[in-house]
Parts: sequence; structure tokens; C-alpha cells
Amino acid sequence: MRCAGLLVTEEPQAPSEGPPVTTRRTRRWPFRLNRPSLGESKVAYLFLTPWFLGLLLITLGPILASAYLSFTDYSLIGAPEWIGGDNYERMLSDPRFFQALKVTFTYVFVSVPLQLAFALVLALVLDKGVRGLAFYRSAYYLPSLLGASVAVAILWRQIFGSNGLINTALGSIGIEGLPGWVSTPDYALGTLIVLNVWTFGAPMVIFLAGLRQIPRMYYEAAAVDGAGRFRQFFTITLPLLSPIIFFNLVLQTISAFQTFTQSFIVSGGTGGPADSTLFYTLYLYQRGFGNFDMGYASALAWVLLLIVGGLTAVNFLASKYWVFYGDD
Amino acid sequence: MAVTASACGGSAGGDDGEVTLRMSWWGSDSRHQLTQELIDAFEAEHPGITIEPEFTGWDDYWDRLATSAAGNNIPDVMQQDTRYVREYADRDALLDLNEYIPGTLDTSKLDPSVTATGQVDGATYAIPTGINAYTVVTDPEIYQQAGMELPDDETWSWDEFIDTAAKLTRETPGGTYGTQNIGFVETGLEVFARQRGESLFDENDKLGVSDETLADWFRLILESSERKAEPRPSLTVETQAGGVDQSLLATNKGAMGTWWTNELPTLTGSAGHELTLLRFPGESQAEQPGMYFKPAMFWAASSRSEHPEEAATFINWLVNSPKAAQIQLSDRGLPINTELRERISDDLEAPDQQSAKFLEKIGTDLADPPALPPPGAGEVQDILLQINEQLLFGRLSADQAAQQFRDQASAAIG
Repeated sequence: MRCAGLLVTEEPQAPSEGPPVTTRRTRRWPFRLNRPSLGESKVAYLFLTPWFLGLLLITLGPILASAYLSFTDYSLIGAPEWIGGDNYERMLSDPRFFQALKVTFTYVFVSVPLQLAFALVLALVLDKGVRGLAFYRSAYYLPSLLGASVAVAILWRQIFGSNGLINTALGSIGIEGLPGWVSTPDYALGTLIVLNVWTFGAPMVIFLAGLRQIPRMYYEAAAVDGAGRFRQFFTITLPLLSPIIFFNLVLQTISAFQTFTQSFIVSGGTGGPADSTLFYTLYLYQRGFGNFDMGYASALAWVLLLIVGGLTAVNFLASKYWVFYGDD
Repeated sequence: MAVTASACGGSAGGDDGEVTLRMSWWGSDSRHQLTQELIDAFEAEHPGITIEPEFTGWDDYWDRLATSAAGNNIPDVMQQDTRYVREYADRDALLDLNEYIPGTLDTSKLDPSVTATGQVDGATYAIPTGINAYTVVTDPEIYQQAGMELPDDETWSWDEFIDTAAKLTRETPGGTYGTQNIGFVETGLEVFARQRGESLFDENDKLGVSDETLADWFRLILESSERKAEPRPSLTVETQAGGVDQSLLATNKGAMGTWWTNELPTLTGSAGHELTLLRFPGESQAEQPGMYFKPAMFWAASSRSEHPEEAATFINWLVNSPKAAQIQLSDRGLPINTELRERISDDLEAPDQQSAKFLEKIGTDLADPPALPPPGAGEVQDILLQINEQLLFGRLSADQAAQQFRDQASAAIG
């Protein structure tokens, strides 16, 4: 619930990236901008202080160093040597860079929508007041906590292996001779997508909180007017939930781009079979630590930052057309 | 001997201070225990020197070493591997031990052809710990199950290897295979290339293997897969990821596989019965022997060590001390010191004795081991693994695989 509240106050940042010209926004925008009093912003900054300190003391140095290193030939062992934009140029003729992009984009564009859809459907079901809600909420949330862990990745490798749970189960109903899912290039990425979808708990909890904030009277009024379930969903629930959907979309997209552990463990660090699970971050790691190519790895990191930043910007721009902040 | 003694006395009496050396290695739990015993024994003999151990598994080891190199902080004495010595040596991270030979570090008893592999342009950057050979490990019980005789490894050809393996798969119950895929480790290709008078890398740090040889190698791998001499590709990938412990030989599911001789104890232990070591196929038809004694691993010292003399003393003790040999036995390969290799032979466990006899038997036929591969060799191994998978899953033909390997590997070592 706090998430949803926080989101609404955060929202005015968004239009600052583009000219505030669209319809609903413009009416609300100047009004909102003047709202927070001095005291309120002080409190906000106070809450942000730990994050700023972390950034300044821990993250900022390495970020700047990697920006510099991305223009060098740096083996980790010797001193970095300035080579200008060569690392960035090299990517254009690096087939594994493109393979890593392909794998990562496929993963993001397939698994994030699926995961959010799954989370939304379950949130809707749970919101209808299931008995033992607290239990279900925790049970469904659990995979989110475990999803990125080494243990689950190992479990996944077993379940989807040649003689794993899935093939054994299929074998018992007469479907035999199937290959290992994690060890066949055509399916390996699919198993990791399933793993990501399985961790729908975190967005689900946020959806639940968002659903709780929608005033019941809207539904009552709609019911009086004769709107059915579907009509209510599309004209009330979805628009009023759109800021939450947007929030989840941005967050899950960014985290999907950063996926590392799953492919590292499932493929034994190789990104295999046949580079089919060569995630961008895994490739970056291989170059930097496996192949003494930290300069190139740094350049890869910056390109990833640009890609994620660019997509997030597109998300924010597109949000004008579908995210509804419920002023009237 | 007198020189060694005075060197030790000098360092101990010099500033009277306690010297601490950091030492790192990779390995399994049993190696960690053995090495701790080594450290205790060394410290007992050298009261002025304290050894601080740092150990991890194989993968973490190289991440960690590279990261500490970035901080100019690599351990004084470290375990090294063929693939990585030059990554460090060429970037001046390793100490040239020549300065301490023969005074502090005595190399006179070390197997000369193998010891030479620790040298680059006359400088000695690494001392081998012991020797190893890459062989075809064979399970006679599975041959028996199939009603087949073990092949004559002094005459068998590559064709015979594939034929035999394919027949083994056919003649045994489902789930048992002729061989594990042999294309994942670059040493197999190295042996194949050497048999044709080539080598994986040449003396100019370029690829030394011809397009024809590469294509023939990949054709061989493909044939092994297509004729079902080995499991289907997805199972092969899983088996490979499982390492020695999950290998076909260890789980009694395959009759053959290519492994290092120092992996024989693990394989034998898991298999539960005696395995047989065979020479590589094609040796008798070859221009020159492909098999070779490989330094199992190396000891090297940091060029930034504050106590290079003590580091050399420690390395000397590790390779020349009877006590050290007695503790380590074959854990880091059969001792590089030939006298000690003889001396401990009776104390070895059965599989190690078997390896020792095998190495002795083939030793006379072998050519010198290849020189240290150029920087980028670790990446070449990754590339080969990846291409081997593409090949198995039918995404590349043998010729395409050869071309891709050449392009990518050349870029990696270029």
C-alpha cells in the first residue's frame, strides 16, 4: 500500500522528461508541483539520504572508473591503456555480443509481460476475498524471494534436465524420449523464462495493494448502471490500476535486463548450450573476469546502461498514452 | 647444498623478522587438507616463515586472482595452470625464478622436458608441480557386458575408436554408451593436431592447426554423435557440466572417456572397480606422437612479492622435499622430481600406481610437451566448448565449425 502511495507522489518527475502537453496532465501538473511544502521535501531528502550516501561512497567511484576503463585496453593484470572508442567499435563485429543482445531482449520481451499478466490475474483472484488470503499471498510471494537464488537455479537444472521431474512425469503418461530442456538450445531459454514468470509474487503484492485503493463505490455505481464484470474490469480496474502496472513494468523490465544468476548456474557459467542462454550480463562477466578483457566489459556495461535507460525513457514517454492518474 | 643452507640462514638472520608469505591454490577439500599439512610441515622446518593460505574452487580461483592482480595484490606463491601462466607472466606479474636457480631453487632433479614448459624466452616463471597425461580411460566391465575385447591401444586408429564406441552403445542395454563426447577440452584437439605434426598454437603465438585438421577433428566429433557412439547432445551437455563425478565412466554409463591421469582415482572411486588406461587412438598411424606429459599445474611467485627469496625457498621445498612428496603423493600430478616420483611409488593408492606405470610405459614414445600457450588460451577453451555444442546440435557443419574456431580463436589470442 505504501508502494502505491509513494508512486503517486513520485509521478510528477515523469513529465519533466518531455514537454507537459498532454491533456489530463497539464491540468494537474502545475497544481501538483507547488504542493510539497519545504518541510515535506526536507523529510523526503532525509529518507533519501542513505541511498545518496551509498551512491556517493560506494557506487559512484566504480561507475566513473568503469566509464574511463571502457575507453581502455585493460587486462586487470597490467595498467589500463587508452584506446579511444575501439571497444565500442569492436562490438559491431562481435557475434557473441549480438547473440547476447538477442537472448536478453527475447527474455525481457517475453517474460516480463507474461509475468505481469500472471501477477495481475492472481491479484484479481486474491482480491475477491479468498479465505486464508494471508497464506496465499505469502505462498505466492515466496518464489520472488527465491527466484534469483543459486539454490533455485540448481533445482531448475534438475527439474528440466534429461532425467528431471518434467521428463519423468511426462514419461509416466507415455511421452518418452524427450531431451533435457535446459540442455537443448531451442528450449533452454524457455525454461529460464518460465523461472522468471514463476517469480510473479513481488508485482502481485503491489497489484494487490493497488486494487485495494480503488474505491468500492465506483464498482457499485457501475453495477447499478448495469456494467458486467468485464466492463468493470476494463473501464474501472485497469485505468485506475495503470500507474501500478506502469511501476511494475518499469521495475521488472530493468531487473530482467540484469538477470545473471539463473543463466550462470543453469549453464554452468558458459551461457550454453550453444550460447542459447548467453545473457548480456553473463557475457559481460565472461569478458571481464574470464578473458582478461575488463576494458571491453566496461564498454559492454555502458551500452547496457544506455539500452536500459533508453527503454525506460520510452516507457515513460509511452505512459502518457495509457497511464491514468485518476484526477477526474 | 651449502648454497641452499646459507641462503636460508641469510634470510632468517637478516632482519630477524618473521616473514609471512601468502599462498593460493584451487582444488577440492582433500587438496585443501593436504596443502594445510604441507604448510604445517614447511613451517616446522622453517621457523622464520609463516604461510597464509587462500584457497577456492577452480572457477572462483581465476576471478579472484585476476581481481587481486588489478589491486597489485596477488599472493606471493600461487598455483598456476598452463592456460594462464602467460596471461600473468607476459604482463610482468610473475617473478622470474632464474635468479634463484640453482642456489635457492634446485631444478636439477626435475623432469627436464616438462620443466621447460614453465619458461618463456629463457625466463622461468613457473615450476611444474607434477606430470599428467591425457588418456582414454576405459571401463573393461562394460566391454565385457557387450561381449567385446579391449582394443589394442598400440595400433588402434580414430576410425576404430568410433566403430568400437558405436558398437558398444549397440551391444549394451539402453542408457549405456560407448564413449563420452571428446570434443569439450582443447587437449583432445591438441593431441589430434600433434599427431599430424601440427600443434594447437605455434611458436609465434598463432593458431598452429590447419583448416583441414580442424575440419577433420570436427567431422570426427560429429560422426561420434551421429553414429550414437555417445549419448544424444542434450545429455552430453548435462554430463559435461557434471564434471568428473557425474561423468559416464564414474556413473557406469559409458565405456570410454578422455581424462587426465590424475583424475583416475576419482573415476575409479566412483565407478567402484578398476578402470584401464589406454593410449589415444591414431598414435601408431601418426607422423609423431600426439600424447605428451603435461605439467599438471605449476607453482609460481609474484613479481611484487616482498620476499622473493623465501617464496623461492618455499617452491623449492614443495618440489624437492621428500616430506612434501610424501604428503602430496599424486594430488598435483606425479611428482616432477623424478627421484621422488620413484621413491613414493610404493605409497601410492592403486589407481595412482596404475597411472604411474602407464606414464612410465608410454613415456619413451612421447615427444616434448607443447610450450605454454599464448595469452587468450583460456578464452580459446571457452570458444571450443561453445563451437562443439553448436556442432552437436547441428547448428554448424564441420567446415563451418573449423572456420568459426579459426576466426574466434585467432581474435582471442591476437
